[in-house]
Amino acid sequence: MSIAIRIKDLEWKYENTTEFALRGVNLEIEEGSFLGIVGANEHGKTSLVMAINGLIPQSYNGIYRGDVQVFGKSVRETDAVELASQVGLVFADPEAQFTAMTVEEELVFGLENLGLGLAEIRERLEWAAEVTMISELLDKSPYDVSGGQKQRVAIACVLAMNPPIIIMDEPTSMIDPLGKGLIFDILRKLKEAGDHTLIVIEHNVERLVPLADQMLLMWQGNIAKLAPTRQFFEDPSFLIERGVLTPEVSEFAEWLRLEGYLEEGTPLPLNLEDGVEITRQVLEARRARA
Amino acid sequence: MIATATTGVNAAPARVPKARKTLLGHVPIESPLYQFHPVTRLIMFIFFGVIPLFIYLPEVNFLLLWVNMGIMRWGRVNINELRKYMPVIFTVAFFMFIVVVLAPGEDPSYTPLDVGPITIYYQPVFFAFAAYWRLIAMLFGTILYFSTNRERDMLVAMRSLRLPFIASYVVGLSIRSAGMFLEDFRTIREAEQARGLDTKAMRLRDQVKLYMMYLVPLFSIALRRADEISNALFARGYTLTGRVGGGGKRADYIRAQYKLRTRDWVLIVSMGLIFVATAIVQMRFGVFSIEYSPLNIYLKQLLGIPG
Ligand SMILES: Nc1ncnc2c1ncn2[C@@H]1O[C@H](COP(=O)(O)OP(=O)(O)OP(=O)(O)O)[C@@H](O)[C@H]1O
Ligand SMILES: [Mg+2]
Repeated sequence: MSIAIRIKDLEWKYENTTEFALRGVNLEIEEGSFLGIVGANEHGKTSLVMAINGLIPQSYNGIYRGDVQVFGKSVRETDAVELASQVGLVFADPEAQFTAMTVEEELVFGLENLGLGLAEIRERLEWAAEVTMISELLDKSPYDVSGGQKQRVAIACVLAMNPPIIIMDEPTSMIDPLGKGLIFDILRKLKEAGDHTLIVIEHNVERLVPLADQMLLMWQGNIAKLAPTRQFFEDPSFLIERGVLTPEVSEFAEWLRLEGYLEEGTPLPLNLEDGVEITRQVLEARRARA
Repeated sequence: MIATATTGVNAAPARVPKARKTLLGHVPIESPLYQFHPVTRLIMFIFFGVIPLFIYLPEVNFLLLWVNMGIMRWGRVNINELRKYMPVIFTVAFFMFIVVVLAPGEDPSYTPLDVGPITIYYQPVFFAFAAYWRLIAMLFGTILYFSTNRERDMLVAMRSLRLPFIASYVVGLSIRSAGMFLEDFRTIREAEQARGLDTKAMRLRDQVKLYMMYLVPLFSIALRRADEISNALFARGYTLTGRVGGGGKRADYIRAQYKLRTRDWVLIVSMGLIFVATAIVQMRFGVFSIEYSPLNIYLKQLLGIPG
């Protein structure tokens, strides 16, 4: 597997602030992997992803040290069109990213920027609308649809441009549970297709965990922990001290272990199915003993 | 009647929306006007907006107004919605007449008329009357356009007229920003109302003060929005120069969905001819001048005014 993103000693300070938002980040992300990013507010998650898509430093002023490379090319030396064709970024606030009058125009805008022809634009438009389930909305104003639909439109805009790297910054923060589910369905489809490197910032670890290959914890402008998903949650107190909630079933299993019902060294469950399975084993062991 | 009213769930047919929201109001979902290319509709807008400039006869402008209304009706515009323009129409009338009554200007040829305790002058009043119908005719031309064209139609028209992409894009963004501004304004108002502020009970002076206070949060929101939009543009690979990937020509997917057909050309050419004819007839022969107004002639006879 080759490396899609390589970050070396990245430091970044926004102008008019006193503290560095990023403090010596080093990170390599493999092509085709799914990275989940967690961390408390204001610890640099958004800044990190903006450094990957080039918004930092191209659209912001500040102090920049170190280097970010996307497919071996430094983002500082890559222009907006080329970057947009390589890294797609979905922002947390879907409304903030709309620039057009109808959903269709919104989708088409990026494709026209890439310099595609009419036939290809149509094809990609239809594909992206279908994957994100917004085909019905094409004729509407992006402002006149529900919050969940807005975010799916925003995702469709990025998908249509088909960048090999897709980043989503808290894509479900403004959406109801059902809408959240739909967004994660899209993510699952993308992961199964395996064509993209996916990076998702998300507070809702329960939903992120089943998809992520690796998890990353941002803390005070740096990476506090980076590990394959299962290992990442092995030391819950480390995460909790840094403001990250572990999945509730892990906490439940941790409690079982502390109470002595679960053998030391049993891997903690990360999703409900595993949790049920572990609980079943515990109960059966007790029944057998009785 | 009784039977259907009680069946509840099945009784109501699925509500099919008839209109689509735009920034300035609503446009019908379907309209016979949509068989014309956006360019044709834009030219029609210019036609109805500019032609009253050559016409001083209030009768003809009144007629134009009805033509506009007729087109709106045919175009399935919800005529009831026009009621919201009533305040504008009356306010303009009120101010124009107040001005000519209070400050008619001095001219020996003016005919004074005593109406109760005040004296008004016939000529400036009739002139204001004529000017008023010109203005209203133009206003209805504008209303016709904006109640049958979406922002998207406007942009397609601009691009079809070969305006550079950036021009139509800036217009589009401005419309969008205006929309967001209104939206933010509403949000702030709602937030204030949720905290128990009742603007209806306030005196006008306090209301004005309040609106001034809104400006501060609105301004900071607008600044943030500007940042967000520029980020959004960057993330979608937009460069201000309009340069596109691969260095080729920018495709225009939306515009490509519309085609100018024979009926468009027929309409455009007829409007052009009528326009030119009107302009020539007025500028050379003054056919639409105020002295030819039948109403003017009749009133003068009635009041015994010479000339
Ligand atoms: N545009 C900006 N200008 C100045 N400072 C900024 C800007 N954006 C972020 N910061 C600062 O950079 C630091 C990191 O912020 P960042 O937005 O990257 O955090 P985050 O982890 O994404 O937070 P959140 O969970 O709230 O989204 C914060 O101290 C923040 O105040
Ligand atoms: Mg953030």
